[in-house]
Amino acid sequence: MTKKYDAIIIGAGVIGAPIAYELSKMGYKTMSVDKLPDAGEGSTAGSCAIVRAHYSTEDGVAFAYEGFKYWLDWENYLDHVKDEKGLAKFMNTGSLLIKSQGHKWQNVKKHYDAVGVKYKELTNEEILEMVPVLDLHEFWPVKRPEDPAFWEEPTKMLEGGLFCPEGGYVNDPTLSAHNIMRAAEAKGATFMFNAEVVKIRAAEGKVQGITLADGTEIDAPVVVNCAGPHSFKINQMAPGVWEGCNIKTKALRHEVMYCPAPEDYDYINKGYHQSDGDIGCYVRPEVGNLFLIGSEDPECDPKEYPDPDEFYAGRGGHGRDNQLTEEQWKAQCYRLGRRIPTLKVPNQPKGVCDLYDCSDDWIPVYDKSDLGGFYMAVGTSGNQYKNAPVVGRMMAELIDACEKGLDHDKKPFQYKMKYIGRTLNVGFFSRKREINYNSSFSVNG
Amino acid sequence: MKRVCCGRPVFFVKPESGMNRKIMNIYVCVKHVPDSAATITVEGGTGINEKITFLLNPYDEHAVTEAARIKTGLPDAEVVAVCLGKPTAETTLRAAMAMGADRGILIETDRPQDSIFTALALAAAIQSDGRPWIIFTGKESIDSEGMQTQFRLAENLSLPVATNVIKVDIDGDGVRVESEREAGTIDVIRMTAPCVIGAGKGLNTPNYPTFPDIVKSRKKPVRRIGLADLAIESPAAGMQIQELVPAVEQRTPRALTGSAADIAAQIVDILKNEAKVI
Repeated sequence: MTKKYDAIIIGAGVIGAPIAYELSKMGYKTMSVDKLPDAGEGSTAGSCAIVRAHYSTEDGVAFAYEGFKYWLDWENYLDHVKDEKGLAKFMNTGSLLIKSQGHKWQNVKKHYDAVGVKYKELTNEEILEMVPVLDLHEFWPVKRPEDPAFWEEPTKMLEGGLFCPEGGYVNDPTLSAHNIMRAAEAKGATFMFNAEVVKIRAAEGKVQGITLADGTEIDAPVVVNCAGPHSFKINQMAPGVWEGCNIKTKALRHEVMYCPAPEDYDYINKGYHQSDGDIGCYVRPEVGNLFLIGSEDPECDPKEYPDPDEFYAGRGGHGRDNQLTEEQWKAQCYRLGRRIPTLKVPNQPKGVCDLYDCSDDWIPVYDKSDLGGFYMAVGTSGNQYKNAPVVGRMMAELIDACEKGLDHDKKPFQYKMKYIGRTLNVGFFSRKREINYNSSFSVNG
Repeated sequence: MKRVCCGRPVFFVKPESGMNRKIMNIYVCVKHVPDSAATITVEGGTGINEKITFLLNPYDEHAVTEAARIKTGLPDAEVVAVCLGKPTAETTLRAAMAMGADRGILIETDRPQDSIFTALALAAAIQSDGRPWIIFTGKESIDSEGMQTQFRLAENLSLPVATNVIKVDIDGDGVRVESEREAGTIDVIRMTAPCVIGAGKGLNTPNYPTFPDIVKSRKKPVRRIGLADLAIESPAAGMQIQELVPAVEQRTPRALTGSAADIAAQIVDILKNEAKVI
């Protein structure tokens, strides 16, 4: 028998779960489906869960700063729901952006001022007081260890940084999605797992529902694509949706490394999130006094866009499958090793290899589509985790407005951010936009 | 429980008094092995797809670390890493040199070799290079897990050997080692140098390199030797892989419920009575 709902959300990760939560709070009867066994077990689980404000656009900074308020007030956001697995924790370490040629930090500073983000400019000496293990020579441009120039001695010094006391990371991204699922369920939402979507059904220009791999049909006048790295496949299933997007998405392979902190540096308790475009790395503390080393996707690094199903099945071969590679282990650890000369680099790679859902300009698509009732929150490119609760609210309001007759393409929905009071033109995230060349075209968004 | 015994060396290489030697060569035999975390796929029935990460055998990391530790304070000592492997195994020698070896010797081969041949090649390369004071190996390699090379190497050089060594002290003209041959029992063995020591995991915490160590290692010399240069006689016996079959992992996950204390008790019970690992 066909089940009927007001809205189907495809994906129960950190983007899909808050959309289900907010729609449920607005009275929608929602059904979330996910091909995995539980919430947050897809690419959310591989997220570094960084919470920081520096983005390349003012709207990006504002959006992220609004997100802080949710993480800082997590229990209230969840309406004090009980989760048998416990609650995720926001680790408010503070966030240090190194001034470098790898970031348009002058723009970030301008955006901080415009949005009202709290920050302090630091000299190199002040940075060293906070992080004494650093070598603040300039190593720009970012290179790979295979390049002989990588090994050249630096001659210039960096010029300080911007420090935001609000910022850090969430200790368990999977758990955070699970928390939101429990909060959504408390408002009436339903979640179905091990449920793979194989068809988006539509008629007369309107979405009708979805069909699962086991033949189950679920009907709803609203379907929201939050399928992460699989989102482009879902868009391709929906008649006219893929073709109607000027900005496309695809899955980008990404490696994150775990390297022990120097023995005399209590990084887990005293360290900061640090974004360092000069070496193309960002870092945050990880349990075990480890450095989690992410890549800021410098141009010299390989970009692989595998089929997500092949990737997660471990197929595709070296550099395309879900295994860490020695080359990238060395690239990221050695880059950080230049910045932290006492960092010891083990021989065996340790870390996480997962996929980004990457848009053409690394800015997400939060939008309706050319198919009536079909919406998307896609292209989150490894930089939207921190924004997820805001995305949930914004998408729910966008969907509700469109379902009540708003022509969002002609008159873009204006979203009022409840904490910082700014209004965001949601058309910024339109699928019809031209590529935004103000973007960093990287994980920095 | 500790047992005390002595190695009874029959010297093929006549040792000089260790402390009077000009250069005290500490050799560390290292192996280039597949990363245990890599996805291993069998190819051709007897080999594996080698487009995966290879690295310094983890037991050899303990051996290199200990050799470098012993060298500290002995200005005449030199740590030499020796590897039998394909040309790509140079990365493993570089890893050993980043961890403290002074130089490397790569005995080049184009195919995997058994422990009989490996021990002959290592012995010949060491003899052609200098006079050993201590020869370290890992107690086993994580790919073939044969645990034979250390013993065969010692036999080829007529030297005493101790395996799964978890402590090494220099003791006059020899070494005093603690060897954990069976769980809960430690043999304390005194061996006159030269001798062979198979490093176990309990020996130390591997001293991984910093970036400056890695920079230095790039400038350290690696001598490449062809097998023909060593004039190794064909061994009378050899081992050949007939078939490689991937291990099938049986996973039977189950949820543990109850209070934290209940769950902890259940985990201990499983580890003790089902997995039998504690």
